[in-house]
Amino acid sequence: MSSGPFSAFIDELARRGYDPMLANAVGTARLEVTDGGPRERWLVSIDKGAITVSRKNTKARTTVRADRKTFDKAATGRLNMMAAALRGEIVIAGDPRFLVQLQRLFPRPSDAP
Amino acid sequence: MSDGLVKILDGSTFVVSDSRGDIEASPTDTTGLFAADTRFLSTWVLTINGERMNALSVDDLQYFETRFFLVPGTGTVYIDAKLSLIRRRAVGRGFHEELTILNHQNEPVELAVRLEAASDFADLFEVKDALAKKGRYSTAVEDGRLVLSYERATYRRSTAISATEQALIDENGLGFEITVPGHGSWSTGVDVAIERLLPGQAARSTESFENAQRRMRRDLDRWLDAAPQLQSDSEALKATYRRSLVDLAALRFSPPIAGGHSLPAAGLPWFMAMFGRDSILTSLQALPFAPELAATTLRALGDWQGVGLDDFRDEDPGRILHEMRYGELTAFEERPHSPYYGSADATPLYVVLLDEYERWTGDRAIVRELEQEARAALDWIDEYADLQGNGYVSYRRRNEDTGLENQCWKDSWDSISFRDGRLPGFPRATCELQGYAYDAKLRGARLARICWKDEELAARLEREAADLKRRFNRDFWVEDGQYFALALDPHGAQVDALTSNNGHLLWSGIVDKSKAKAVARHLLGPRLFSGWGVRTLAEGEGRYNPIGYHVGTVWPFDNSFIAWGLRRYGFKVEAATVAAGILEAAEFFDGRLPEAFGGYERGETRYPVQYPTACSPQAWSTGTPLLLLRTMLGLEPEGEHLIVDPALPSTIGHLELLDIPGRWGRIDAFGRGRVDVDRRRSRRR
Repeated sequence: MSSGPFSAFIDELARRGYDPMLANAVGTARLEVTDGGPRERWLVSIDKGAITVSRKNTKARTTVRADRKTFDKAATGRLNMMAAALRGEIVIAGDPRFLVQLQRLFPRPSDAP
Repeated sequence: MSDGLVKILDGSTFVVSDSRGDIEASPTDTTGLFAADTRFLSTWVLTINGERMNALSVDDLQYFETRFFLVPGTGTVYIDAKLSLIRRRAVGRGFHEELTILNHQNEPVELAVRLEAASDFADLFEVKDALAKKGRYSTAVEDGRLVLSYERATYRRSTAISATEQALIDENGLGFEITVPGHGSWSTGVDVAIERLLPGQAARSTESFENAQRRMRRDLDRWLDAAPQLQSDSEALKATYRRSLVDLAALRFSPPIAGGHSLPAAGLPWFMAMFGRDSILTSLQALPFAPELAATTLRALGDWQGVGLDDFRDEDPGRILHEMRYGELTAFEERPHSPYYGSADATPLYVVLLDEYERWTGDRAIVRELEQEARAALDWIDEYADLQGNGYVSYRRRNEDTGLENQCWKDSWDSISFRDGRLPGFPRATCELQGYAYDAKLRGARLARICWKDEELAARLEREAADLKRRFNRDFWVEDGQYFALALDPHGAQVDALTSNNGHLLWSGIVDKSKAKAVARHLLGPRLFSGWGVRTLAEGEGRYNPIGYHVGTVWPFDNSFIAWGLRRYGFKVEAATVAAGILEAAEFFDGRLPEAFGGYERGETRYPVQYPTACSPQAWSTGTPLLLLRTMLGLEPEGEHLIVDPALPSTIGHLELLDIPGRWGRIDAFGRGRVDVDRRRSRRR
């Protein structure tokens, strides 16, 4: 298991449990870290604001692939996911629309350390 | 088309070419194939035996397909055509062309047909500002296709060109060596496919072009069928109405990565993108005609509502976006549009639209669905928009480099000025923002009471609205001019120019009854009213210029809200006069109102002078005739009913609007022109 900002973010997300900003969102996203040995995958499910995080390897509506450095930036409010997706720094597979919901889970620059 | 350019579009993909169908883009013009704010084709030139084509006619079949009738040679005097060409083009994911060459002679003819192709992959912002590229271009001939590509780090976009007939493909285009028999014909299909448009999007559409065309045709027919039917003695009004419906259909936009349904984009060619303000105001204009646009706008903008503080994007929690872009500059964060939030009016207007939508449709499910978004928008007004802590909404960009200085609809640099032409400092609290905030609070209170069952919130919002109205009528009223100041400057001083913003104040309801008459008199007075419409800035002010973008031109959309505001305060004749002027101006543009036209006195020019670089069609100009129809017919939802209280200009004669959709099912409205607008106009002087 890795440590660092992204891992801390995943832990925090699992503890968050419910986010009212996602009250209308339903879907699952798989976050895949593309470097550093065996591929690390997280399944983030949102069901009307209720967030669950697991390592289940099931099919997701949207898959987000990036290297750890990029996920660390996203986890600390230093990466705008929309811009990163447009320039191919993160790769989206499946339904790209769920990215809109997903990016709301991540911190903003004002939250950066 | 008035500019000699032919535009066809589908969603966020569009082609702009000359009347021959050719594209020869310079770095600063907008011909080309565009998708997601990127130019995917900048050269597309057809020749036969080395000769360019000459256009005989252009048939704009639909907004998504065009047919060009051509002959070889560029002679302009006399054309003895032994050959002719039909170039049929349709937009889909990229575009498709059917090229047919007809030989009118008895003998067979040998021809070298060539299509030159190239792409600069320019971001629309680069086209607008003439910026240089930072990436690397490449071209390849592979699998019978010409592939044009552009790469910058992980960013990659490409265009693939192929033909159905045998073609000689090189890095600069496609060639066909053919023999056309006497009185025979030859044809080929050519595909220009956009690849790697956006991450996650399929590289190539699986839908055939013929199917796509049938689907789009069916979709347009359904759209026109669903809209109310208009009958009138005025042929011009009928034509304008149909033009508006078709253009609005064309401007429907399915934002990539932002939801399946469509909402109004702002306008062609610069603004085929999601804009908070434009999408909201156009949805409001179109509510009695196409209420589903409002639902999509509310959901899409709700999805992107701000959640935190981001100075580069001027994002705050609860703030509704200003503009979303997908081009290279946005991707590399050289522009903040991913999305950019620098708009001070979209957030209160979001609540206004939600309430107005419920009043028309009775769709309370969406009000409950978007409760969090609406509450966050209402909170934004007090927590993030009151920059000075004085109880007024104001704006000052945090992104000093590429953010917007003026975050109101008059967003050009010199739009907010004192009478003497001086520009105020920041933050600026423009007057219409206070009106929108007032309206949002009252409408939010209504929604809180009937849908969210939150009496406490409703009472608080009503208290705040009443207090805002009282303070506003004291602090913004220009006593020696008898109108409302354009803004308050950072020291609380009145920015005292006389502007069209006064009309938006009537629309919002923030104006004290005792002051409304003076305001209406100004709006229809000689300094603001040109005879065609209300000028953005009054004649006689320091910065007044009849062809200045926001400092003297007449904006049709502005006038539609002004007319609505006049009706709200009971000024039926004045509202009909504004409506008549704008609708008469529309006739000079074949029913397609431009973004803006010159503020010249009507008697001086006899016709409305189009503003030089105005977008056309533009969504809120397209929506203008619709809102004017609502205003003239006096359509107002009241509980489960629709009130009809017509006050039509005499120039229109008889008017029927049939099958108006709403919570009442479908209702017809009738009216007859009785308002003598000519008398009203002559009284002006």
